[in-house]
Amino acid sequence: MKYLNLEIKKINRLLKEGKITPVDLVNEAFENIENNKELNAYITLNKEEALKQAECLINKEVDNILFGLPIAVKDNIITKGLRTTCASHILDEFIPIYNATVVEKLRAKNMIIIGKTNMDEFAMGSSSRTSYFGSPRNPWNKKKISGGSSGGSATTIAARDLLFALGSDTGGSIRQPASYTGIVGMKPTYGRVSRFGLVAYASSLDQIGPMTRNVYENALLLNAIVGEDEKDLTSVNKREEDFTRLIGQNIHNMKIAIPNFFMSDIVEEEIRKKVEETIKILENNGATVDYIDVKYLENTVTLYQIIAMGEASSNLARFDGIRYGYSKENPENIEQLYYKTRAEGFGEEVKRRIMIGSYLLSGENAKVYYNKALSIRDDMRKELIKVFQDYDLIIGPTTTTTAYDLDDSMDDPSKSFMDDVLVIPANMAGLPGLNIPIGFDHSHMPIGLHIIGNSFEEAKIYHLASFIEKAVGLELNPNLGGENDE
Amino acid sequence: MKDQLTKEEVLHVANLARIEISEKEIEKYQLELKQLLNDVEKINEVEGYDNDILIACWSGPTNLRKDETGEMLNPNEVIKSAPRHSGNYIEVPVVISDGEGA
Amino acid sequence: MMSKYIPTVGIEVHVELKTNTKIFSSSKNGYGETANSLTNVVDLGYPGTLPTLNEEVINLAIKAATILNCKIRRQMHFDRKNYFYPDNPKNYQITQSRTPIGYDGYVEIEVQGEMKKIFIEEMHIEEDTCKSAHRGSVSLLDFNRAGVPLIEIVTKACITSSEEAKLYLEKLKQLLFYGDISDCKMEEGSMRCDANVSIRKNEEDPLGVKCEIKNIGSISNVAVAIEKEIERQEKLVNNNETFQEQTRRFDDKISDTVLMRVKETGNDYRYFPEPDIPYVELTDQMIESAISSIPMLPDERRQLYITRGVTEINANKLIANRGLSDYLNEFIDTNLNFKEAVNLLLGDISGYLNKNEKTIYDTTLTKEKFLDLIKKMEENILTSKNLKDILNKILESDDSIDNIMKKCNISNITDTKMLEDIVLKVISENEESVQDYKSGKDRAIKYLMGQIMKETRGSANPQMVNQILIRELNK
Repeated sequence: MKYLNLEIKKINRLLKEGKITPVDLVNEAFENIENNKELNAYITLNKEEALKQAECLINKEVDNILFGLPIAVKDNIITKGLRTTCASHILDEFIPIYNATVVEKLRAKNMIIIGKTNMDEFAMGSSSRTSYFGSPRNPWNKKKISGGSSGGSATTIAARDLLFALGSDTGGSIRQPASYTGIVGMKPTYGRVSRFGLVAYASSLDQIGPMTRNVYENALLLNAIVGEDEKDLTSVNKREEDFTRLIGQNIHNMKIAIPNFFMSDIVEEEIRKKVEETIKILENNGATVDYIDVKYLENTVTLYQIIAMGEASSNLARFDGIRYGYSKENPENIEQLYYKTRAEGFGEEVKRRIMIGSYLLSGENAKVYYNKALSIRDDMRKELIKVFQDYDLIIGPTTTTTAYDLDDSMDDPSKSFMDDVLVIPANMAGLPGLNIPIGFDHSHMPIGLHIIGNSFEEAKIYHLASFIEKAVGLELNPNLGGENDE
Repeated sequence: MKDQLTKEEVLHVANLARIEISEKEIEKYQLELKQLLNDVEKINEVEGYDNDILIACWSGPTNLRKDETGEMLNPNEVIKSAPRHSGNYIEVPVVISDGEGA
Repeated sequence: MMSKYIPTVGIEVHVELKTNTKIFSSSKNGYGETANSLTNVVDLGYPGTLPTLNEEVINLAIKAATILNCKIRRQMHFDRKNYFYPDNPKNYQITQSRTPIGYDGYVEIEVQGEMKKIFIEEMHIEEDTCKSAHRGSVSLLDFNRAGVPLIEIVTKACITSSEEAKLYLEKLKQLLFYGDISDCKMEEGSMRCDANVSIRKNEEDPLGVKCEIKNIGSISNVAVAIEKEIERQEKLVNNNETFQEQTRRFDDKISDTVLMRVKETGNDYRYFPEPDIPYVELTDQMIESAISSIPMLPDERRQLYITRGVTEINANKLIANRGLSDYLNEFIDTNLNFKEAVNLLLGDISGYLNKNEKTIYDTTLTKEKFLDLIKKMEENILTSKNLKDILNKILESDDSIDNIMKKCNISNITDTKMLEDIVLKVISENEESVQDYKSGKDRAIKYLMGQIMKETRGSANPQMVNQILIRELNK
């Protein structure tokens, strides 16, 4: 019996009735992962501990809907006693001595972490191909990428190994792989979820979020992980709310904006068509959709490159081989310890970004590039927020193409940034954004719609997303939909 | 616009980042870094923004911490993760010059 | 012939703040404890950790800014100063570069009888680094100090002599110590000084090439280091030698500065705003409550003591001893004779405290007891000679002074009627001496006094006896 293919409410009922136990679910998840081994979704499995934890739950009261359910956690989220590598050689033997706040929150719900998912090294990349542990494969076509940087989390959800995964999103790293693999991925408002224990890539942009097979489960997981954290000064104090509360309601009179830039010819025609079809559905159901102009959207990749690489160069300075992590053996002096540890410990993409980031902050460049970027970012954020004076939500395609081939060239250093051109604005403005699958391209690779909400209005995003989910009614299980093996 | 960085420029950024690079890598980075720098150069084409900068997306009253001692690590835990240690100390190759900072 | 040059000195001072915990984590802020026992994952810069901000640091920084007459910035943020160094756990230091909490202040000093303002450019908050000890081919790192809160106080280049530098530092130290900002122990590194020195020929000339002298261990050495540096630069300029901007350190053993490194084209610290700490807004309430908790500062204390009859010399001596000064201040609202009190505090009581390595708060000298003591001394109920005999008991036992005096038989008889009776009795018993006195032999008085004291077993108040005796003899 495949329990993990059931609806969550059903699983919860079976647990409550004692017909199944968390051990069954954990065993099934590991079976699935074993069967899908070639997808390379995981860097580290937590088999022993997960089973131990599941056994401990057998006689406990099933007190919440997430109780006893397995979850996969991106490998840049710190887990006490469980190797956390950030997909980097420099941390490939790193066993943390504390837990991220989100991990504590999962434990509070008695969810069971079954493993750490593959990703781009330090979340830098858009295809998960910069991982030290090899790249994950797309369950819809194993020759294709799953996207990145949360590629492993997207892969394991898309492959239906289990129901829940956590990703992190700095410039689209949850939503873009969600789009490539046909799942639901939410980047919450900046400050919604504590970053304590998320290994920083670009601190002012990073945010942890849920990746799931459907909208309802996504909202459930968000319910569990949000909240102000005294350990993270950038986390925000908001009244508790149920993010599922608007799911299933009609969309009469909903006002939706779509920036012209999002539908310009940088996006493949096939994708634009699919978005237009979706817009029709929305209009037919009482929503209005207006094409609008939003200033600075075309500049967001540039802003992202400057801010993210600048912050990254500083955030990753701590990996020096002194206190933890990979360290060059027998260095002749302290400088050699630094230079060789970092040259050998970091991969190409990371080195490139750190070097550029250092350059952008050095001397006069800080004024020429960095400060300017912070100014434009401020204006861009105001422009985007202004849209919400007249509209409930902003939509657009999540990506400009569908998932491309794993062996496509990686030589173009700009490519990985351009993959995220449509999703970066939400990070720049700190706004919540979600990917919802809306169809497939000619080779049956998933296409996703991106919904951006005003700050702290995730519930509204789930409202629209759940409507679309029901309206398009896609078969999103690649194991059933038939893999395209051309 | 130049289509590549000079060797010296590449070495300068590698030094800032404390990353050793080989002669061969220098050539590669001359091209790659220049391409990325050309990308970020586009920032100078942007117009019409004001000088306010964004540091945090939301700012409310800062959550200051009470000055009360919390849990600390045992020295054994501190040195356990460190590649080199001696006694209760973390060890590094000798540091010759004095600190830059405070 | 040597020409004269005008030195220009700017001083940077780092002081560790007197808090319970570190600036960005809840680890204890402590000194001299087991290596690496005062740390947590934040202090060690573990991946994924984030800073929190200690409210007491903000409170003390507001107080310090106020004491240094600085303007206070209401909205500020922190910046990252990026540089690789083993004592810098994250390889960036969280500091304030764009928005220092205090700016445009001054400290007033008295130079050869004239008041001079030493201008403060800015005062900012930052974190301390870890401590490294060098052992042959390795350095050992102790992260206990990593993240201890600091304020850095930077003067304008407005100091023109080593004497001014010394006076400024002494004043600054006293102010910060009295403000309860820092314990300012240079020997433990809780106050550290760097000096920037340059010379030029005329006031109108641009500033000369600057040399920075780092981490000088005492205030007197700062003065020596500046002197030596001025001499060195004068020699170079007189020989028409050019020299580069450089960093030097003061070597205690040779009492001179030595070269550490010649500065390259400016350090590239790649400052940028710290994204992990949003803007800090100082509210009126925060500022008011900080300011209202500033204890009375030295200048005000001096004024107060002088007004209440203490000599300036004694006032300064007392201020040099914070514990005694604080103790005395508890009596501001009483009618205590400050002059008498200060004499006693600086005299016998200081002697006792020093000998026993105690503070006045370790003794049993309660406020009431001290008032009683000074009153008894003023009224000669207790003589200073008597006091010497019983001081230890007064400071160590909970007994009242009356009881102690009784137990030690130092009940000073001050009952006039009783004394008169005794005097008359002694006079009547010593006719001969009375005659001697009347014929001009002063020695006789001494003898009679002795007899009276004998009669009272030394417990008569000598002044009173003397008065009564002379009065009776002259009748």
